[in-house]
Amino acid sequence: MTTLTKPSAESASSGSGALLEVTDLSVQFPTEDGLVHAVRGVSYSLRAGDVLGIVGESGSGKSVTSLAIMGLLPASAKVTGSVKFRGRELLGLGDKEFSRIRGKGIAMVFQDPMTSLDPVYRVGYQISETVRRHDKNASAKAARARAADLLELVGIPNAKDRADNYPHEFSGGMRQRVVIAIAMANQPDVIIADEPTTALDVTVQAQILEVLNTAMQETGAATVLITHDLGVVAGMADRVLVMYAGRAVEKGPVDGVYYTPRMPYTLGLLGSLPRLDDAEKTKLTPIKGSPPSMVNPPPGCPFGPRCPLHIDKCDEREPDLVEVEPGHEAACIRNEKLEGDVEAADFFEADATDLTLAEAVVADALPSMDGASAVQPATTPDERA
Amino acid sequence: MTATDVEREGAGDGQRADGVEPILVVRDLIKHFPIKGGGLIRRTIGQVKAVDGVSLDLYPGEILGLVGESGCGKSTTGRAIMHLQPATSGSVVFQGRELTKLSRGKMRPLRRDIQIVFQDPYASLNPRLPVYDIVAEPLIIHKLARGEELRTRVRALLELVGLNPEHANRFPNEFSGGQRQRIGIARALALEPKVLVLDEPVSALDVSIQAGVINLLEDLRERLGLAYLFIAHDLSVVRHISDRIAVMYLGWIIEIATTDELFARPSHPYTQALLSAIPIPDPRRERARQRIIITGDVPSPANPPSGCRFRTRCQKFRDVLSESQQQKCIDEIPLLEDRGTGHPAACHYAEALKIL
Repeated sequence: MTTLTKPSAESASSGSGALLEVTDLSVQFPTEDGLVHAVRGVSYSLRAGDVLGIVGESGSGKSVTSLAIMGLLPASAKVTGSVKFRGRELLGLGDKEFSRIRGKGIAMVFQDPMTSLDPVYRVGYQISETVRRHDKNASAKAARARAADLLELVGIPNAKDRADNYPHEFSGGMRQRVVIAIAMANQPDVIIADEPTTALDVTVQAQILEVLNTAMQETGAATVLITHDLGVVAGMADRVLVMYAGRAVEKGPVDGVYYTPRMPYTLGLLGSLPRLDDAEKTKLTPIKGSPPSMVNPPPGCPFGPRCPLHIDKCDEREPDLVEVEPGHEAACIRNEKLEGDVEAADFFEADATDLTLAEAVVADALPSMDGASAVQPATTPDERA
Repeated sequence: MTATDVEREGAGDGQRADGVEPILVVRDLIKHFPIKGGGLIRRTIGQVKAVDGVSLDLYPGEILGLVGESGCGKSTTGRAIMHLQPATSGSVVFQGRELTKLSRGKMRPLRRDIQIVFQDPYASLNPRLPVYDIVAEPLIIHKLARGEELRTRVRALLELVGLNPEHANRFPNEFSGGQRQRIGIARALALEPKVLVLDEPVSALDVSIQAGVINLLEDLRERLGLAYLFIAHDLSVVRHISDRIAVMYLGWIIEIATTDELFARPSHPYTQALLSAIPIPDPRRERARQRIIITGDVPSPANPPSGCRFRTRCQKFRDVLSESQQQKCIDEIPLLEDRGTGHPAACHYAEALKIL
């Protein structure tokens, strides 16, 4: 069983009209090295028709957040906080009750269409199964017809015949269409799409994003779009949440976050992207170092060690999200430094070196290594040389 | 008829009129992989035409980007050029020497001059060797340095790629992905090559890390005068780093031009669709963009369409061309040549279009 602590008794609808309300969600995984704090206090709310983009690099906790919302984490995970769907607390629901919400209330599109479909069932069956699971009155025949309709809607040619194919008979892009058809099947209120196009080529990605748009319009569902691609979010989302080291470090309207980022990490991320639409070859500005260990996060701002604006005060405590403009929040005590028209190059160096070893990586390596080289401090001169 | 029956003019691109000789000349390179039947006698029942007549020139000190989607043959091209997978036919001439016919032994001394960096820094470094040994290995194999000199050179190499030489005793698993890729680059640079084949060198890395490696590659080119064949699927990265770009589709180069030219006047419908499909991290611009959506997936390279290989997905073929024009796409292989758009494009109806 997923262990969890409920912050308060199930209260009635929060009254804000939010469909999905995530409050202070945290996820911890016990590992041999200690407790991994994968998600640390993420909050957001989603109203009908909203499209929220969640961006972050690998390991930032963006996928784990969604799996926690869907109740799909392994039993060993410790989930705390609150996830309310239409005012109803989801954390702590039994599997049977949760199954009524999954697929019907909240549907999910996974990253890898190769593994999210069952290889031994025909795709038509997999869609009609979803339909019948939530609508006991639907006849097999009606469900099959609905499956064919859905396949057509997501742009699969000869949908009726293709419904009898197995997943391996589809290409990656076509499989992802099937996955989206399954997500749409029960007219969900919320669709969570976790890196829906990462495994696909760009021309196919463009097709799938189009299909996703159709799905959003067709179902009227609010959407959470999780991706590492800042370009995808720019075009699809209304609001964006930037994650770093398991925390939301900046959130707000897409335009605000992209054009006037107030958290140095967001600025650095945008500055390290080569731009397709930029003829001038300005040097990229990478962010030095690596994300911190999630086993022993540093006491202060998790971005501190990599931040060009870092001062001693940053290490005192982890900064909260503070409102910097209406609806736009950033977790940086020096966020006013980024006010106005700033460029990543004003703060980040166009550097080409990468000198420090990440603590996390070293910690991971420790058990498997012979002690001599592993515990050698970075400052010891190279004895081999 | 295959693409190679046809002399593919203009692969040299005509962009270089200053008399500088290319360091690497690839002509009609073909790499087919046999498909074996499942019977007792595993007869060859078909060919996967991974690379089907690729011609390109690489000039000293130049970065040539080779882009395309998965399965277009860009990595196979790189490997066939390096003679890691022998080419089925065609020629690869490096500084006046034909490589495709060389034996392994004869090829070895030439490997000093052409080195490769692989995509996955987690798989391309031996986890049991400390970084020092990884970087020193090529120098030892080629008997270029020993003793104190070897140590000095390895340290210098690590410094060159932006790593701390004091970490030479560490094992690959202690380094981040970006740092591992730097180790791979140091290893490739150990023999002071003239040409580096970079096979998706940054696609496994997070963006904030990727930028540092791109900067490093730019620096190295400037400091060492290297030429790169930069193979990647990400056109944003390729635009940033390349002087010229060749776009591949299903085993062919379908358009080749200088970077500025390709982005200002993309002429092949596939290049246009590719440029239009890539999302830009700029919300206002992105929302205002008109996408050219091409339908379907890349056809199988074992059984490519007749005539133009892109015609099955081509937006121009579908929406613009008349039936007689379409017939030409079905019957005739479009040569890679300049049809008045300023650079070669392999489309009968090539026409420059402003996408960005």
